[in-house]
Amino acid sequence: MRYLLYLGCVIPTKQYAYEVSLREVFPKFGVQLEEFNERCCGFPLKSINKKAWLYMGARVLARASELGLPILAPCNGCHVSLWETKHQMEEDPYLKSEILSYLKSEGLYKFDDVDIKHPVEVLHDIIGLEKIKEKVVRPLQGLKIASHPGCHLMRPTDIPRPEDNANPDKIDRILRALGAESYDYPDKGGCCGATMLPFSPDNAIKVGAQKILTMINAGFNAATTSCPYCMEMLDNKQDAAKTITGNMEVSLPVFYLTQLVGLAIGIEPSKLLINLNMSPVDEILAEVGVV
Amino acid sequence: MTTEVFTTRIVEELKNIIGVHKPEFCYQCAKCTSGCTANKVFSEYRPHEFVALANMGYVEEILKSGVIWACTECWKCGQYCPQEVAPVEVIIALKNLSIIKGYAPPKALVEMTKNVIEKGLIQDINQVMTKDFEFIDRDSLGLPPLEEPPQMDKHRNILSKFFGVVMK
Amino acid sequence: MEEVRIGIYICHCGKNIAGVINPKRIVEHLSRLPNVVVAKEYLYMCSSPGQSLIEEDIKEYNLNRIIVAACSPRMHEPTFQSALIRAGLNPYLLEMVNIREHATWVHERDPAETEQKVIGLIRAAVHRAINLYPLEVERLPVVKSVLVVGGGIAGIRASLDLAKAGYKVYLVEKNQSIGGKMAQLDKTFPTLDCSQCILTPMMVDVSNNPNIILQTYSVVEEINGRPGEFEVKVRQKARYVDWDACTGCGTCVEKCPARVPSEFDEGLGTRKAIYFDFPQAIPRRPVIDPDHCLYLIKGVCRVCEKFCPTGAIKFEDEDQFLTLKVGAIVVATGYQLYDMRKMYEYGYGKYRNVITGMQLERLSSANGPTSGRITTIEIERGKIKPGKEPETVAIILCAGSRDENHIKYCCRIGCMAGLKHAYYIAHALPNSKIIICYTDIRAFGKGFEEFYQRIRSLPNVFMVRGRPMEIFENKDGSLILDVFDSNTNRRLTINADLVVLETALVPPQGFEEFRKILKISCDPGGFGLELHPKLKPVETTVDGIYLAGFIQGPKDIPDTVAHAGAAAAAASAFLAKGYIESIPYLAHVDEDICSGCGVCVSVCPYDAITIEVTDGRRLAKVNSVKCKGCGACAAACPSGAMQQHYFTDKQILSEVSALAEGVVA
Repeated sequence: MRYLLYLGCVIPTKQYAYEVSLREVFPKFGVQLEEFNERCCGFPLKSINKKAWLYMGARVLARASELGLPILAPCNGCHVSLWETKHQMEEDPYLKSEILSYLKSEGLYKFDDVDIKHPVEVLHDIIGLEKIKEKVVRPLQGLKIASHPGCHLMRPTDIPRPEDNANPDKIDRILRALGAESYDYPDKGGCCGATMLPFSPDNAIKVGAQKILTMINAGFNAATTSCPYCMEMLDNKQDAAKTITGNMEVSLPVFYLTQLVGLAIGIEPSKLLINLNMSPVDEILAEVGVV
Repeated sequence: MTTEVFTTRIVEELKNIIGVHKPEFCYQCAKCTSGCTANKVFSEYRPHEFVALANMGYVEEILKSGVIWACTECWKCGQYCPQEVAPVEVIIALKNLSIIKGYAPPKALVEMTKNVIEKGLIQDINQVMTKDFEFIDRDSLGLPPLEEPPQMDKHRNILSKFFGVVMK
Repeated sequence: MEEVRIGIYICHCGKNIAGVINPKRIVEHLSRLPNVVVAKEYLYMCSSPGQSLIEEDIKEYNLNRIIVAACSPRMHEPTFQSALIRAGLNPYLLEMVNIREHATWVHERDPAETEQKVIGLIRAAVHRAINLYPLEVERLPVVKSVLVVGGGIAGIRASLDLAKAGYKVYLVEKNQSIGGKMAQLDKTFPTLDCSQCILTPMMVDVSNNPNIILQTYSVVEEINGRPGEFEVKVRQKARYVDWDACTGCGTCVEKCPARVPSEFDEGLGTRKAIYFDFPQAIPRRPVIDPDHCLYLIKGVCRVCEKFCPTGAIKFEDEDQFLTLKVGAIVVATGYQLYDMRKMYEYGYGKYRNVITGMQLERLSSANGPTSGRITTIEIERGKIKPGKEPETVAIILCAGSRDENHIKYCCRIGCMAGLKHAYYIAHALPNSKIIICYTDIRAFGKGFEEFYQRIRSLPNVFMVRGRPMEIFENKDGSLILDVFDSNTNRRLTINADLVVLETALVPPQGFEEFRKILKISCDPGGFGLELHPKLKPVETTVDGIYLAGFIQGPKDIPDTVAHAGAAAAAASAFLAKGYIESIPYLAHVDEDICSGCGVCVSVCPYDAITIEVTDGRRLAKVNSVKCKGCGACAAACPSGAMQQHYFTDKQILSEVSALAEGVVA
């Protein structure tokens, strides 16, 4: 299992906890991560210029094609962007030849033979729940964790996505394999609001706050995601959410899925950068005796 | 008295950007707006209405309001639309069109675009504060540096052409 | 050989043809073609003056071939053939050229090219017409009995009409009882009369009619023979009860200890393992469900046998096969509900208080699981229990219908059913609130608009123009849904105790296989395809097979009954003369050329060809009763010995070469 680690924009410049926990956890399962310094997949700029977005995605794919390895894209945005690029090029040969003409000027010729994986897929479909269970030394007992797949792990529905859009449950199953409790809850497939940030930060944060409240109402004492945008909204901006909504109840420990896997297989919290999670994670870990 | 002049059902330019999805199929069930993420916090953001306006040719009206930028691109409306409209794709196309027509996008997006052209990424490397009030970044964490990939000059040139309008 | 004298007639078809090309100009071209004696054009060739024109010309010019360039032969070939007959000419000396569907409709933007195409097509027809020869039809006897498949209101009505007309009717129904979906309904829209009260007397009429043989708990397995003389194999499923000995006292049902979710009650109530579909079942003879009978699955119990006063229980019963001979078949297999679990956003099957409209019918029916009390649903130790009276009910129209992800067409029932369901609740629970989430209210039938007005005037019914995207369940089992009301431009958050889905309706399970047994076509929705959408709504592509009710496409009860009556009338008309005319386009063998290779035998879909040895020579023989004139054998024959009348190699090749080269071969 060798992948090009394609971090995108947000993970390597800000969401260090995701990168660090991923680099800690995946090799423990025999997953080899190769450095792949590539630039933006185009996702945030799809609204500005769809063609530019496709070109940017195709460029990342083309560079991976040269190296002959599949991509591991931990960001939901990157993952969806690359898959959509592949899909749209297949649908529209004229568009494909136009995009190819840009790539040719950079000495790139091919991009449609690259597979793109997300950490949730690698954990659930490739490593498998059994292997994960075997490695668990510190079961996450007492944690009732809400899975927040994030929109683009399950949508758009017309392209292949890691999670089933009718019943997203891969993360739940991984959580159960780690010894935690996880179940369905209303609006599980709901949005964190991140894409609204540039337009209206306050309202975007309100969307995230509503999502946290649904999780709390459904009886969870923690939540997890595997998207840096969702983490930003659900964890990093929790304090801001309290201020903006005036609701002090908006308080729930939020982890990266890779952090939880790391904790369960016995990696020290400091090596998983738990101290970057702004939500009350230490309290809950102490409470249930995981740390 | 002015009477309505029905021009075209949908602006050809918009249709080209939309691609495979079919705004002209919309029968206004408003299922999209019923579960819309953005509509929860912006009552004036109503995807079914944008599709209806676009179908009647009132595109300028939507672009002027700027409210389309509230879309979170969560794609729920695309998932559940009974008529393959995928309002989200219509709205993304409307945003593209608004750039072409010279309307300004949210400032933060302009900033991101500028960063992408210059550095290839939407933002610079941040120093982040931990709960213990310590500032960390890639260097301090010992993470590999973000080396510049090959052919960045050509890449920048192409991006500048694509994003020229926004940067003006 | 007699001189070939051709008359050509070009139809304007109003503006359909003449709006694109100029028939007058084409007529001038045509007079130059070989053997053409006369060429004319007229506004509507199919009209009385148009047909008279042909008849008079045949006599005046002594014509012996007629070419009509007009619409599709499927539409008007019989029309013009009868004109030939009236003028004393064999009807198979007619050749039709379809210049409407094949030319003017499809190329209306390029009139000049279209004219060239029309001329080319007619020139080809001239060459084919030269090679036509007269054909004779045979009279074949018919059996004066009819098979009706499906015992819902459509099958019941068709059976009663046919029996009244004097035909013997076999009514085959897959369930224990006739009655179908209508028997499950509480009331019918828009009049709100009791469904059972108008249906059950008709069910009794069926069982008392000496001309109707009721064959329930049975399915049609095979159909052979030909129109007018079908041979139908029916499987009577093992009933485990001797219906001749049984008196229908019901003691067995009462004593049976095994409880099973009731299909009739849409899973909301239970029935026993030995059961009638419902208390008013016809025939009143129970069957044992072998998947749930304790004796049949575990070998213990036999309580029914012990209590049966007439010794009618027959555990050793097996499936039985019957062969019926019928002249015609009426297909009245009805519909089923779309599986709403596929529309996961509404949580049907996951949330107990999201129910279908049909389930609400059962809750509202006096003979239903709650004896007509409308309640929420509780689940206690895995069993469904009636809950409390709902305070707020949301009714969602078009659930799965008009949806590219699910069922594309309109169900034609949901709007009125939804209004009716609002009435049930508003009437039974005056303090409740009913929210109808609609997209369009389609009130097209007689009395529908008035019904809509009546329901929307009720003080506790609220019409919301919008469709919820998702439904979520609260901890107490109630439901929360957001719906945007485009009338008031507000997003409403509704907390509902019960959500009723007016579901999409689809062809019944197994219809696709049954349709293949019938050899009839289907529409994109999977329903049986009628021969003509307007003019032949009950006929199918197979003579003698008719569609009745929902199986031809969504219909409410009045339309279903009218359609079933029409199907019965069409079947009667088909059989009334006592004979049918065979098609003359059959295959025949030139025995001088046939080598007996048998390729024709292998391609024939109807088993109509055999290889027989005559004077030591292997020769193909065509059974003219079985042959349907499909032409597969003629196309496959390597030597050209096998020919199909009206489509001989000579006729087709002369047409093709004229098309290809534009010159006389």
